[in-house]
Amino acid sequence: MEIVKTINGADACFALTGRLDTTTAPSLDSEVNGIIPNVSSIVFDFANLDYLSSAGLRVILCTQKAMTAKGGKFVIKNVNDTIMDVFDMTGFTSILTIEK
Amino acid sequence: MDLHSEMLLNQYIERKESFSKMQEVVTNELKSIVKDLGMLVNTIESRVKTEKSLKGKLELKGYKYKDLMDITDILGARVVTFYSDEVDKIAAQIEKRFTVDFENSIDKRKIYKVDQFGYMSLHYICSIPKEMYFDEAHPEINEYKFEIQLRTNLQHTWASIYHDTGYKTDVEVPTDYLRRLNRLAGLLELADNEFNDIRSSLDEYRRKMKSIFNEGNFGEVELNLDSFKEYLSIEPFGEINKRIAESNNMEIEEMSLVSFLDVFKKFGFRTIGDIQELVKTESEDAYQIAIRQFSGTDIDIMTNFTGPLALCYAYVVKKGSGVIGIKAILDTIYGKRDSNTRFANKVFEICKNMGMAK
Repeated sequence: MEIVKTINGADACFALTGRLDTTTAPSLDSEVNGIIPNVSSIVFDFANLDYLSSAGLRVILCTQKAMTAKGGKFVIKNVNDTIMDVFDMTGFTSILTIEK
Repeated sequence: MDLHSEMLLNQYIERKESFSKMQEVVTNELKSIVKDLGMLVNTIESRVKTEKSLKGKLELKGYKYKDLMDITDILGARVVTFYSDEVDKIAAQIEKRFTVDFENSIDKRKIYKVDQFGYMSLHYICSIPKEMYFDEAHPEINEYKFEIQLRTNLQHTWASIYHDTGYKTDVEVPTDYLRRLNRLAGLLELADNEFNDIRSSLDEYRRKMKSIFNEGNFGEVELNLDSFKEYLSIEPFGEINKRIAESNNMEIEEMSLVSFLDVFKKFGFRTIGDIQELVKTESEDAYQIAIRQFSGTDIDIMTNFTGPLALCYAYVVKKGSGVIGIKAILDTIYGKRDSNTRFANKVFEICKNMGMAK
């Protein structure tokens, strides 16, 4: 998986390409954790993400909890139908801000 | 301003920092009282009289004060509560924690005769005891007195509007306006008592509901936010979620399920018993829907939404509401989105294959 990180002041965006799974989730987790104290908003751009596993869901959940705790904003955008189904069936949709 | 008043004003200017320190100590103690009582109050506010304001007071009646210590409202603090019985609870703590000058404190709630209405507030004249704060360099911090006012939100509104008229005492107010203001004070006293009663009745209702739940008489409990929250505390969807989770070795992430109240209301459910019946009659089909959704995936995490969602899907499909019914559930729980129709179709397809659709 390729992670393109863009930081603009207090806003961070992670554009992901490929598969967010057990192998790749730890590196995203580490990148995100490193940035959380310094930002007020994080965007995950899934435009080029093909696959999301449970490990990816856990990174998303941790990011959501951390940003909520600090009163920040966390948005996931450009989610494909397959990944959207995962969010819907697991109930994650109820806690996430998902934008087209 | 006479020479004596000027001397008092100069004393105030020299001691302004001490008054600021007193303000900090008093405000923190009041916050601590409210926190320890587990209370939510409208406001805790305080102010140190400005030089201009004190000058005005001294110009008018500086002769009354021998010493700056005789002026007890240079520091003023106020706690505005929501309920009138909270005033007494805070008052008891103030008496315990501060040094109270009872001779000069006044409970204006008790000065009226039975047929009189007006300004209702509890005013304490206090000082800071050494056990609370002591600074060797500034012993005056424990000597100067200050005022704490306690009143309810409604009493505060009345007092603020009265103050806004510009009159300081009742004798200054034209009779007709005074009558109207006092009439309102009576009305607000009634409202304060009513708010207290409502809260007590609600507490009683919640206690009663708990005992009805314990006896298992769910059909007797009207479905509303209070009863639903209480119902959720006994984890009515725990069993179905556990079964679904075990099917895929999934971990369950717990979240608030309060948003399902809207769905059940839209189903026309009137009592908690209706939800209990849903759990009883639809659990097997809901389980089958959920495991079919997760089959072929390697997902090992779900939220506690999964079970109740599947129960709702089974219910609407059997009622013949089809895709529209499922979409309505998703619209309510997740918010209206284009993708709800697509996902509703997928869920309906599963239900159809299970032979559930009418």
